Amino acid sequence: MKILAVTSCPTGIAHTYMAAEALQLAAKEMNIDIKVETQGSVGAENVLTDEDINSAHAVVLAVDTNVDKARFQGIPMIEASVKDAIKDAKGLLQRAVDAKPVAKENVEQKVEKSEAPKGKQGVYKHLMTGVSFMIPFVVAGGILIALSFAFGITAFQTEGTLAWALMQIGGGTGAFGLMVPILAGYIAFSIADRPGLVPGMVGGLISANIGAGFLGGILAGFLAGYTVVLLKKTIKLPKSMEGLMPVLVLPVLSTLIMGLIMIFVLGGPVKAVNDAMLAWLEGLQGTNAVLLGAIIGLMMAFDMGGPVNKAAYTFGAATISAGQPSMVMAAVMAAGMVPPLAIALSTVLAKNKYTVDEREAGKAAWALGASFITEGAIPFAAADPIRVIPSIMIGSAITGALSMFFKATLAVPHGGVFVLPIPNAVGNLPMYLVSIIVGTVIGGVLLATLKKR
Amino acid sequence: MDMTKLLTDKRVSFDLKSTTKNDVISELTGILTNDGVISDEGEFIGAVLKREEEFSTGIGMGVAIPHGKNKAVKEPAIAFGRSSAGIDFESMDELPAHLFFIIAVPEKSDDVHLKVLAEISRKLMHQDVRDKLMNVSTYEELIEVFK
Repeated sequence: MKILAVTSCPTGIAHTYMAAEALQLAAKEMNIDIKVETQGSVGAENVLTDEDINSAHAVVLAVDTNVDKARFQGIPMIEASVKDAIKDAKGLLQRAVDAKPVAKENVEQKVEKSEAPKGKQGVYKHLMTGVSFMIPFVVAGGILIALSFAFGITAFQTEGTLAWALMQIGGGTGAFGLMVPILAGYIAFSIADRPGLVPGMVGGLISANIGAGFLGGILAGFLAGYTVVLLKKTIKLPKSMEGLMPVLVLPVLSTLIMGLIMIFVLGGPVKAVNDAMLAWLEGLQGTNAVLLGAIIGLMMAFDMGGPVNKAAYTFGAATISAGQPSMVMAAVMAAGMVPPLAIALSTVLAKNKYTVDEREAGKAAWALGASFITEGAIPFAAADPIRVIPSIMIGSAITGALSMFFKATLAVPHGGVFVLPIPNAVGNLPMYLVSIIVGTVIGGVLLATLKKR
Repeated sequence: MDMTKLLTDKRVSFDLKSTTKNDVISELTGILTNDGVISDEGEFIGAVLKREEEFSTGIGMGVAIPHGKNKAVKEPAIAFGRSSAGIDFESMDELPAHLFFIIAVPEKSDDVHLKVLAEISRKLMHQDVRDKLMNVSTYEELIEVFK
């Protein structure tokens, strides 16, 4: 008879392993074949495979943390704490030996029941899982792009140079290109475990390709996760073919469904939004400049890389295509610098409202904002869109309006602080800086106030 | 990586003076502080006590392994202490604890150290290891038990 076990304690330093050893010692004494997976601070070791689970009589979960129980569907679970395993490993094993195999329907019902109360907390948890995996990509990519700008803001255009290489590594072909796929992939992973990763990441990549940005990516992640959950529930294969589920059926079907939805359902509206916004902005040309600046600000901060932001940026970049310094471009860049800067400021102002990871990401956000890499704000916006996005939109709108009011101009389409020292790149530099600072302070204070603990 | 890097000869006390749980945690932490491992004693003790609140690390069989993962820890370290009289550590079996291993781990630690700690934790579950630990009288003998 084969018994499985998982041990895991909160710190994952000592008890996880003591419980594992206790179970192994007891099993030896009782002449039971046992395999124990330890989930400690070094990660999971001696991991139980599907094969183990299929051939096992029962599983003992000696855990004080949340472990994934879904994979043990179909075999009896003896749930206990780490403490129980250390204190009375034999008793636990005896319970496992005595456990009767449970009918499949019953098991599934039981699992559903125990997952039900998670509800709201679950959605937030999934979002945070995605965000926490995305943060390092944003930081690595953003900083490398900023480094590339340090060689001159157009240096990356010369192939074969270090600046060009840095842009390849950090930009859309490298770390930044993975940002939205990782976000979407790990949201889906959090919902549906490993099978969620494929449709999630592919959905995220398509979202980035069709210009739906990180908001599209969040949508893709949730869609992918729940699609897999649904597929798992509805598709019933004969026992002999069950092995095909995780390797063939789930990945192919879920990815196909995801991809079709992203391209045919979401793709159209995203392009329509982008086109409509661009046409609308062009119509606004020549009206009140300060109002136009405010609108550009709102758009730049709304979806950071999504269709609305892109429309504003494209509109701004078009105004300098003739090589003329442009007030609109100045407002676009200033408003695009504010979101990461305002968030960075709020992580300083309201330290205790952010996690350690977020505070670290906040430090990088200073550099990203200063380099006009608006994406630096995405992890924060994705984690808490309802509070973050309005705050930074207001900050950016004020900066956009002020930049227009002071008639600041810009002759280049990118670069952040790196273009400021270039002669004639910026018109009315002192007031341009004031515009950026005022928007940053207002957005940052607003966010620090709104943000919940 | 062997455990002598974590548990050096300066981090051993075969005759603990404490008689209560809180005192013994302080006494063991003091050993690590004197050896330059802990930068803020109060902070570390706080982390250890917080862990104890979840449930006692007195795992019974006369063994207790209070531990803390905290930024006040400069490098991973273990101190060993023994009390012949025994100290009430609110252990699972409600018997006094005689063998104490206090484990200090920094916020960021590499897997190598954690694996050593895992190995020691596993060894402590064996009766013969515990019996030997009750009788060792030198640092060399102590290390020998774990080999």
